[in-house]
Amino acid sequence: MSLFVFRNNTVERFFPKDYTFSGYDDISFIPADASGYVWFYQAPIGYNREASVEEIQGYQQKFDFVLAQIDSNKTVIALTMEDIYAAPFTEDDYAVRGAIEQYNAALFEAEKVNTNLKVIDYSEFTRNYPVADLFDWKFYFISQMGINPKLTKDFQAWWNRKLESIALKRKKCIVLDLDNTLWGGVLGEDGISGIKIGGDYPGKAFAFFQKSLLQLSKAGVILTICSKNNEADVLEAWEKNPFMVLKKEHFAAYRINWTDKATNIKELAEELNIGLDSFVFVDDNPTERELIKQMLPMVSVPEFPVQPNELPVFFKQLVNSYFKVYSITEEDKKKTEQYKANAARAQAQNSFTDFGAFLESLDIQITIEAANEFNIPRIAQMTQKTNQFNLTTKRYTDADVKGFLANGWKIWCISVADRFGDNGITGCIMVNGDTIDTFLLSCRILGKGIEKAFIKKILAMLKESGVETVKATYLPTAKNAQVADFYDRCGFPCVAENADGSKEYALDLKSAELEIEKYYHINLK
Amino acid sequence: MEEKVLEILKDLFELDAVDETCSQETCEKWDSMGQLNLVVELESEFDVTLEPEEIGEMKSFNDIIRILKTKVA
Repeated sequence: MSLFVFRNNTVERFFPKDYTFSGYDDISFIPADASGYVWFYQAPIGYNREASVEEIQGYQQKFDFVLAQIDSNKTVIALTMEDIYAAPFTEDDYAVRGAIEQYNAALFEAEKVNTNLKVIDYSEFTRNYPVADLFDWKFYFISQMGINPKLTKDFQAWWNRKLESIALKRKKCIVLDLDNTLWGGVLGEDGISGIKIGGDYPGKAFAFFQKSLLQLSKAGVILTICSKNNEADVLEAWEKNPFMVLKKEHFAAYRINWTDKATNIKELAEELNIGLDSFVFVDDNPTERELIKQMLPMVSVPEFPVQPNELPVFFKQLVNSYFKVYSITEEDKKKTEQYKANAARAQAQNSFTDFGAFLESLDIQITIEAANEFNIPRIAQMTQKTNQFNLTTKRYTDADVKGFLANGWKIWCISVADRFGDNGITGCIMVNGDTIDTFLLSCRILGKGIEKAFIKKILAMLKESGVETVKATYLPTAKNAQVADFYDRCGFPCVAENADGSKEYALDLKSAELEIEKYYHINLK
Repeated sequence: MEEKVLEILKDLFELDAVDETCSQETCEKWDSMGQLNLVVELESEFDVTLEPEEIGEMKSFNDIIRILKTKVA
C-alpha cells in the first residue's frame, strides 16, 4: 500500500520506501492515485509563542481543507501533535500547549464525523524517550528533522503496529497458567488461603494483573486456562478465596488437568473454534513455554517476568504486541458470553438424537440486515478476521465497503440469536451485480445449518430483484478448506475448476431449490 | 573501516557495485536525503559524532574516510 504523507518537516526515513511525500507544509497537491494518506505535522520550534500558536491554528485549517478534498472512500491517518521541545519563558505560559491540545482535539472531533479518518496518538511513541533522545538540534539545522533520525527503527516498528491495529489484526485468545502466573505460590501445596493474591505484595501485584486481564476480556479478548492442578482445588479457590478477581465465569473454557499443555491447547482451539495462530500462551514456567513453542509454533509465546512487580509492564507489552485494535465493536464486548453459550449449546445437542428436533428446540432467530453506517465497521472487521468459513477471503476496510455500496453492490449482514444467547452480527454477503464477491460466517454460529438458510434467503431476494443467474467463486487459502465444496452442497453447478484450486459456479435461479426449513425464523430489517 | 563504509554506501544508495571512486557526482541516490541517511548510518556504525561542517564536506568516499580517520583512533 503506497500512502502519501502530508508533512511540515523531514520525515521520509521514518516511513516505508514506497510512500510519497508532500513538499514541506505544502497542501497544494493532493495526488488522487494514492491508496491512502498520512497527516504528520510536527509542532513548530522556536521562542515566538504567538507565531507558534498561529502556525498551529493554520495547520488545523489546512488539515480540514485537505480532508475535505480527499475521496471519503480512502483512509486518512492523522498523527496528533506533541510539544516535544516546549520552551516557555514563564511558568504560566500555556499558549502553545493550549493550541496543540486544541489541534489534537479537533483531529479527534473530525474523526467522529469522517469514518475514513483514523487519528493516532503520537505521544504513545514519544513518551518512551527523554527529550534529549527525541530531538537533535544538529539534524534539525542540517536536515529540518523535527525528530531524531536515529529513532527510525523504533518509529517504523511502532508505525507498523499502528497500521495493523487499524487493519484489526489481533489475536483472539489468551491461555493462562495459574500457579505463579495468576497468583503467587502453588495451590496444591499452599492451599486456598496460602496462595498470594490480594493483600500485600506480591499478592497485590497478582491482583493487579488479574484486574488488568479482566478489563482486557471486556474488550473482547477471550480468556482461557491451561494449568496443571486438581480441578476441584481450583474450583474451590475460585469460589472461596475472597481476593480472587478472575473466577470461573470469566473463562470461556479451561483445561485444568495433568495432560501436556500442547494437547490441551489444541483441544481448547477446537472447542472454541479458533485457529491456533490466534492464541497467546502465558505461563511462568520456561519449560512449558518451550514445549508450546516447539509443539505449536503458530501459538505466540511471550517471555514471562521473573518478579511479580514487573507484571504491569508485561501486561502492557502483551496488549501492545497482540491485542491492540483501533476501536472495539459491541460484538467484541460480548464475546466471552457468546463463546460460553456455545459450550452450553454443545451440551444441549448431546441430549437430542434427531438433529432437526435439536435445531427446532433452539428457537433460532436469523436477522438479515442491509449494510448501513452502524454495521459497516463490523462488516469490514469480519472480512479482516474471518478465515475458516470465508469463500473468497477478501480483506476490506470500512472505506472499501462504503465504496462498494456507492457502486451499487448489495451487502447484507446476518445476526443470529437462539435460546442460549445472541451472537450479534456474525456473517455477511456482498453481491456485485450478479456475482457473490464475499460470503463469510463466523465459526461461532456454524453447525446449525444457518449458512444454507442465509444463502438461500439471499438468493431468493436476488431472484425477486430480477437476477437470473448468480455467479460465485471459491478461492482456496490455508484455512478455508472446510468450505471448498460449500457451493456444491448448496446446489450450485461448478462451471470451472482452476489449477490454483479455485472453483467457479453459476446457478440458474429459476430452477434453484430455495426452500428454507421452517425452524429458522428469518427477519428482514 | 574502508570496507564497512563501502558496504554502507552500497546498501544505502542501492548500488550494484561500489568502489573508492564513489561520490555524490557518480551516485544518483546520494541527494540531501541520502546524505542524512548516510550520516545516521556512519554515526551509529562507528560510534562518532559528525559536526555539521564535516557533514557539509562529505561528498565522496574519500571525504568520508578522511573525516572518519580524524575521529576513530
